[in-house]
Amino acid sequence: MSRFLFVVPPLAGHVNPTIGVAAELVRGGHQVAWAGLPEVVGPLVGSGATVFRCSSPDLADPALLRPPSLRGPAALKFLWERFLGPLAEHMAPGVRAAVGEFLPDVLVADQQAVAGGLVAERLGLVWATSATTTAGFTSLSGLPKVDSWIAGLIGELRQRIGDPRSTADPRLSDRLVLAFSTEALAGPVPSAGEQVRFVGPSLAARPTADDFPWHRLDPRTPTVLITLGTANAEAAPRFLAACAEAVRGRPDRAQAVVVDPTGTVPEFADRVLVRPHVPQLALLERCDAVICHGGHNTVCEALWYGLPLIVAPIRDDQPAVAAQVTDAGAGVRVRFNRATSEVLGAALDTVLREPDCRAAAGRVRASFRAAGGATAAAVHLEALAARAK
Amino acid sequence: MNSSQAAPTAATPEAVFEEITGMLHAVLGEYGGVVNAGITMDTRFHDDLDLESIDLVTLGGHLQARYGELVNFAEYLAGLGLEEIIGLTVGQLVEHITGCLRAPGER
Repeated sequence: MSRFLFVVPPLAGHVNPTIGVAAELVRGGHQVAWAGLPEVVGPLVGSGATVFRCSSPDLADPALLRPPSLRGPAALKFLWERFLGPLAEHMAPGVRAAVGEFLPDVLVADQQAVAGGLVAERLGLVWATSATTTAGFTSLSGLPKVDSWIAGLIGELRQRIGDPRSTADPRLSDRLVLAFSTEALAGPVPSAGEQVRFVGPSLAARPTADDFPWHRLDPRTPTVLITLGTANAEAAPRFLAACAEAVRGRPDRAQAVVVDPTGTVPEFADRVLVRPHVPQLALLERCDAVICHGGHNTVCEALWYGLPLIVAPIRDDQPAVAAQVTDAGAGVRVRFNRATSEVLGAALDTVLREPDCRAAAGRVRASFRAAGGATAAAVHLEALAARAK
Repeated sequence: MNSSQAAPTAATPEAVFEEITGMLHAVLGEYGGVVNAGITMDTRFHDDLDLESIDLVTLGGHLQARYGELVNFAEYLAGLGLEEIIGLTVGQLVEHITGCLRAPGER
């Protein structure tokens, strides 16, 4: 029996993949716990789970909201300067306390919870990386100047909460990196990354209220899910409206479910359903294509069902994830700020009708289903714990 | 390296602009949503074309394929600050490339 501590940021997309892995470890007779912000992590992992409290910058602080205009390298810099850096300092005492109390054999740190890797190196603890996106393996930004700026910020954090003598990257463990994707989507990892294990998506059933009006979907019409994920509501209205218009302009050829937490997109008869939230996995099973922002989780969930994608990346890792999709041939990319209903309509015709696109998405699906998911991740963690003892 | 081979005789800003425009359409992709007339010397890569840094890397590949070692786009970008990269215009790139092509003797 070993003990595993998952160190996670207060971001649903980064917590979700750990849930299935933890469940597999528990099934194997191991003990698991999380370190994170209980108000966010607790409801996701369930009431029976142990969550050690780590504090966080105030998530409601308007200074943390990135305006839609803030994109590209500036958005990345803002993310690290205002959120991920302060988050690491907020989390570090809680992570140290959790280690002291739970005595984990292995600490599993999310890539955006750099306090995990830094505290582990300070305490001489074995740690692995949970990579909920594969976009950062080579370069986060594609620009050396930005990458070295981020590395500098991490270096300063290390002086305060890590081991000042270490040179390791707290975003990439040199022992084990669990990548919730496959090379069929992410492309080959540079040879230096031998510790990277592609386990495919770790999809666990998420608690969702089943209030979805399934009867309103016409089983004979191709269905498109249109969603910008959980973190991009403020930038959404124009793009979602253009998507809805593209669907309206294609009678009998498409119906859409639009996820719109802002409630600004109008419904259109029964062909454009607008919901503040949806049971995404259950819905994807009924869909034929997905329009999204290129969030790693949404993309992988769509491809889990072999659905071709239209990706409109907004910022952060999304452009890189979008490039993975187009390189794999599993979809097309549109420009988030520029895509008109005409452009989106043409893109819809491509993903709904091109057999090549669907076949490519099917190949990624097959690779995902063969990769082992949460079960494979648990096996790698068990092996790491065994080596650590 | 044979510099005369990579340096086109018509390295005028107009000719370079035409070539860059073509490359930008390739980078933007089939659904880029940008018409030819939409790209001018004042067009900004980030704000006007929605180009991401990953697209700049792709553009660098096109530039290298066209101009060879005369133009090192990655090095050019590395010399720019974050704000300068964000504000980069087509005209600035054209000017940089025209300059590189004009002075092969310095290499």
